[in-house]
Amino acid sequence: MEFLERLARLAETDRVAIRYRDVALTFAQLDAQSDAFAAWLLETFGEDRTPILLWGHKDLALPVCMFGALKAGRAYVPVDTTFPADRVARILEQVRPRLAVNLSGGALEAPVVLDAAALEAILRRPAAKDRRSWVGPSDVAYMLFTSGSTGNPKGVQITAGNIAAFCRGVEPWFRLEGDGGVFLNEISYSFDVSVCPLYYGLGRGMTLWTVDKDTLGDTKALFQSLEASGLDIWVSTPSLGEICLQSPRFRRELLPRVQKFVFCGEVMTCRLGAEMLERFPGAKVYNAYGPTETTVLVTAVEITPEMCSGRPALPIGYGFSNLECRILDPETHAPVPDGESGELAIVGDCVSPGYFRQPEQTARVFFTAEDGRRGYRTGDLCRRGADGLIDYFGRLDGQVKLNGFRVELEDVEANLLKVDNIARAAVLPVTVDGTVQGLTAFILLEKPDGMTSLQRAKAVKQALGALLPSYMVPRKIRCVDRFPLNPNGKIDKKALADLV
Amino acid sequence: MLEQILEILTEICGADPGELQADTALFDEGLLDSFALVQLIVALEERFSVTLDPADLERKDMATPAAIAETVRARQPS
Repeated sequence: MEFLERLARLAETDRVAIRYRDVALTFAQLDAQSDAFAAWLLETFGEDRTPILLWGHKDLALPVCMFGALKAGRAYVPVDTTFPADRVARILEQVRPRLAVNLSGGALEAPVVLDAAALEAILRRPAAKDRRSWVGPSDVAYMLFTSGSTGNPKGVQITAGNIAAFCRGVEPWFRLEGDGGVFLNEISYSFDVSVCPLYYGLGRGMTLWTVDKDTLGDTKALFQSLEASGLDIWVSTPSLGEICLQSPRFRRELLPRVQKFVFCGEVMTCRLGAEMLERFPGAKVYNAYGPTETTVLVTAVEITPEMCSGRPALPIGYGFSNLECRILDPETHAPVPDGESGELAIVGDCVSPGYFRQPEQTARVFFTAEDGRRGYRTGDLCRRGADGLIDYFGRLDGQVKLNGFRVELEDVEANLLKVDNIARAAVLPVTVDGTVQGLTAFILLEKPDGMTSLQRAKAVKQALGALLPSYMVPRKIRCVDRFPLNPNGKIDKKALADLV
Repeated sequence: MLEQILEILTEICGADPGELQADTALFDEGLLDSFALVQLIVALEERFSVTLDPADLERKDMATPAAIAETVRARQPS
């Protein structure tokens, strides 16, 4: 795998790979420790290539374990600490890993579980580099579990070849002036935008500046971290940009070196684009787009001041040069002419082999193109103009993007029904200026509970928090006496939205 | 001022009128998160004609309705 070769070469420099809190992990340490982990995996599990599960947040040991897994020829499944034990258990049921690395402190069951101390002892052992066991281009490198409409998470498999295609595709967009650089590393490792710093950033010898969720949740601490960062490239969701823009201090003086801002994961508003250009003169600002199934990003565009007026949201951009974007009729899957809207499909080396052990779900959205390349229908409603720019108009199904996280509303609804005393439930996104700001759950109780709204909201959120990642828990819980229904007996969400 | 702040929070948090108290722990009770905080700051700035810079705000400055009132008061021109 080319990325692992790059790591080995960078290990001969004295560069820092990742900074987290006050600790700096050098490329030499990252390479040696991942070799040690790989050697231990091979020694302990031999040829068994079952994926390994990694449960933690931004710990320095996580990238070590990821690259160690790849060096031992197996995939990893990163799960963030925002995932509660029950959700992790349902991922474990599907993956059935022989090994789980547990840095979360939560309860987890697997045949072998390593905690932080046990892992540290393994990473300190000297080990030789053995390239024979490394993953090959068609081997799965990682699996990310995303919200599934049935209430169970589904695993997207990404191969080493998919990652290589991604790094080639983003090269013109992410490339920096000069050697090295500092790359923002704020996104949870269980969310695929983190692949940008991990594989593109580290692969180009950059240093990752880590910001964890506690720092993100405390704006004063966040600004202190940004001020100390010396960032050259920023990749985040538009939401983080919007939060930072609330402070007048978020401008050139705070990040004097920054060359590029890339926003992705959800709709980017014109206001964000215009403000970023004004506050960071000399920096380039991009909007980028891509589903997890096609390896992080597939389109991008540099934002210009002219683009930021006269449209509801910024375009998602042009397809990368090493893949093909097609706009298809959602029913017949035949291509539609430029200027007409349809479902965006992606064809190329970046397309995942499919969902883990879900052949039916895989067959529904993945396909093989005429020339044998793999394709994926995104479920996103888009239009391509004569200039090749693609605009995004929304989903063809009930999926929403919340702070960049993909949430199937039906997933939240299915889990709400597991909570005591809830007879029916519907979840609606709260949208401000075209961006989803949060979720509101409407519930119908089985019997009166004598609680106030806040007491009930707290109880329901607590119960749901044990089943779902925190970003999927609705902020507002509203009780209704009855649900407005469609003629076919389903909850009429449009009528429900009008009730608010 | 506290009354008006409670009114804004009641809307943002989806509480019943009169349910929020001056000392309700907004973060600990799961009523505010960083995204709701953005909405809250915008509403406070509009209602009280103050500037609240998130880069200067700590969690404790916004932890309860009473703390928010204190934070806003400290930033109002005397």
